[in-house]
Amino acid sequence: MTPTTTAPRVQTGRPARPSRAGAGRLLLLLAVLAAVIVGFGLFTLSRGDPAHDLAGVLEILGGGGERLARITVLQARLPRFVLGVLAGAMLACAGAVLQDSLRNALASPELLGVTSGAAVVVAGIVVLRVPVPFVAYPWLALLGALLAGAVVISTTRTSTDPVRVILIGAALSALLGACVITLITLGGENTVALIYTYLLGDLAARTWVHVRLVAPYALIGIPLALAATRALNLLQLGDDVAAGMGLRVVRARVLLLTLAAALVAAVVAVAGGVPWVALFAPHLARRLLGSEDSRKVLPVAAMLGALLLPGADLLARRAIPPVELPVGLWLTLLGGPFLLVLLRRSLGAPR
Amino acid sequence: MTTTSASPRTAEPAGPFEPDPLGPPGRGRSALLGGAVLTVGALFVLHVLVGRGTLGVGDVLATLAGQAPSDAARLIVIELRLPRALIALTAGAALGLSGAVLQSVIRNPLAEPGVMGITAGGVLASVLYLALVPSTFLTPDDRGVGQFGGLALPLVTLAGGLLAGALVYLLSRRNGTDPLRIVLTGILVGSVLQAGTSLILLFRREEIGGIVLWLVGSLNGKTWLQWGALWPWAVASILLGLACAGLANALHLGDDVGAGLGLRVERTRAGLLAVGVLPTAAAVSIVGAIGFVGLIGPHIARQVVGDDARRLFPLSVLLGGGLLLVADIAAGAVPFTRTDLPVGAAMALLGGPFFLYLLTRRVR
Repeated sequence: MTPTTTAPRVQTGRPARPSRAGAGRLLLLLAVLAAVIVGFGLFTLSRGDPAHDLAGVLEILGGGGERLARITVLQARLPRFVLGVLAGAMLACAGAVLQDSLRNALASPELLGVTSGAAVVVAGIVVLRVPVPFVAYPWLALLGALLAGAVVISTTRTSTDPVRVILIGAALSALLGACVITLITLGGENTVALIYTYLLGDLAARTWVHVRLVAPYALIGIPLALAATRALNLLQLGDDVAAGMGLRVVRARVLLLTLAAALVAAVVAVAGGVPWVALFAPHLARRLLGSEDSRKVLPVAAMLGALLLPGADLLARRAIPPVELPVGLWLTLLGGPFLLVLLRRSLGAPR
Repeated sequence: MTTTSASPRTAEPAGPFEPDPLGPPGRGRSALLGGAVLTVGALFVLHVLVGRGTLGVGDVLATLAGQAPSDAARLIVIELRLPRALIALTAGAALGLSGAVLQSVIRNPLAEPGVMGITAGGVLASVLYLALVPSTFLTPDDRGVGQFGGLALPLVTLAGGLLAGALVYLLSRRNGTDPLRIVLTGILVGSVLQAGTSLILLFRREEIGGIVLWLVGSLNGKTWLQWGALWPWAVASILLGLACAGLANALHLGDDVGAGLGLRVERTRAGLLAVGVLPTAAAVSIVGAIGFVGLIGPHIARQVVGDDARRLFPLSVLLGGGLLLVADIAAGAVPFTRTDLPVGAAMALLGGPFFLYLLTRRVR
């Protein structure tokens, strides 16, 4: 999509910037974020036991270094970082798509039951040892995600209050959480620990196998989300306006929600129910840009997600050595208060 | 007292009592309560008869009569089943009363200790206390079951529950108190507090099974030791809550009427909220975060006796106790489990759909 096409005006209350200058700023921001991600990547590869300095990491990436160091960096830390980047970007895109297409600032997969729907399916497969190939996990998870999301959205069809939609979603999430715990008690002693951290959202001990599983979904899903930004901008204007501009509203929304669910399901299949990134990143992006134009928000949010998740993961890995805690815990501790602030703001707004 | 043949629990239309919800308690009320007491008593006996451990009904009866066929039978019935049933009954009763008090004070049928983050706050405080004061980790015997924090634990739990409840109430109070918004705030605060609990337990490298038991609530491994720590607090707080029924009724008439009756409304409300948190604290410090009892029990009770707190509170106590007994019997009946299904999980599977149903009805 060329940035010179007339931008659909978005309800920001601000005058739209001249799009060419806006595009320049956007590219600059994206370039800066990309540089930060790479820099952070080098840093996170160097941390840990054994620690390396920057030169050492670069040498290893260039094909040199000792055998042991190569293994720790290339087989343990690098896949974990890459997985974090991919999963973070995917979740951020999913969150932005959900928020814009439902016109609900609080929409995010963990609050709509989408994440826990996928998690129940994955937990069921692992605990009950259902003979399913690893490659099929995302598809089955998608089934659970879609089902849960459909329940929430169809029960709240008539309600326009975003808080109520989220409330149903949160209640369904709690219920599905109970199902997961019930499943856990059915499992053997060894699977229990695995599952528990898995469902909290965890990047520990992930290898290239996991990256390979999730990569196709990222490479297809993220560009699709970016390509859908025009429709998202229209949907933000409200159903009537969007229909007037020639958008087939219901079809577009169903497709977009499916896309978001697919992105989330793929992440859940490899990294568990990583929370809050999908809510955080788009809001941060809107703040940073001072705009709600999806064409800008989506790429920036993806970059921020790709920074946020590995960042939280480094915290999880190194904050209180030697204990390594699931990244999902840290995200909940950090993200919950953030959500309360958001909620309080939306409570203050007139209905 | 005429005990009606049909069990009053089963939402029998409360015809005779309905027209006069605030009238003096009469004969109908005692018949109803008597029936509920009998029902709960029957559930208690059933719980002991079919409880954990394989033992024939005849052997159980013989043991209870003081003629145990074997030491194993005596151990199972006297040392395991009886305290477990008592704890289920008492904890359920406490949670049921908490729910009823909170619902009538906040005037929100969806309020409940679990939903309002009170349980999560209590559990976090308990776990923190147990983690920081290691000597409180006493194991009652070499089977190493259960954790026990002494008599001070319920106080710590109470502090945590009060703080969490106050936080949720204040956060959601700004534009009047929309019932649904309190619930949403409570769920969110609860999830953050729960993450804190997981953090502490994972940090201490507890076995995962133990974490799950705290987070969903369980009766597994509860014996006379835990009963000893539970009953003084539970009974005292339940009696206190029941004694406050008149005050709750006065508040229920509305702030103006309450003030006209000479109540200092805000202070009374705060005090009653604290009274509502007390029984939960007592229960949670022993059995963990069992949810939904305080939602379902009072809800059914309200269908039967209406809003009058003098009828609602006692019936909620009974129904709460009965519910937890039923949930524990059901949890024990689930086949194929590695260990016992935690009663909290069973309760959530029963209560979750019910909660969703209540919510969707209100949202529409």
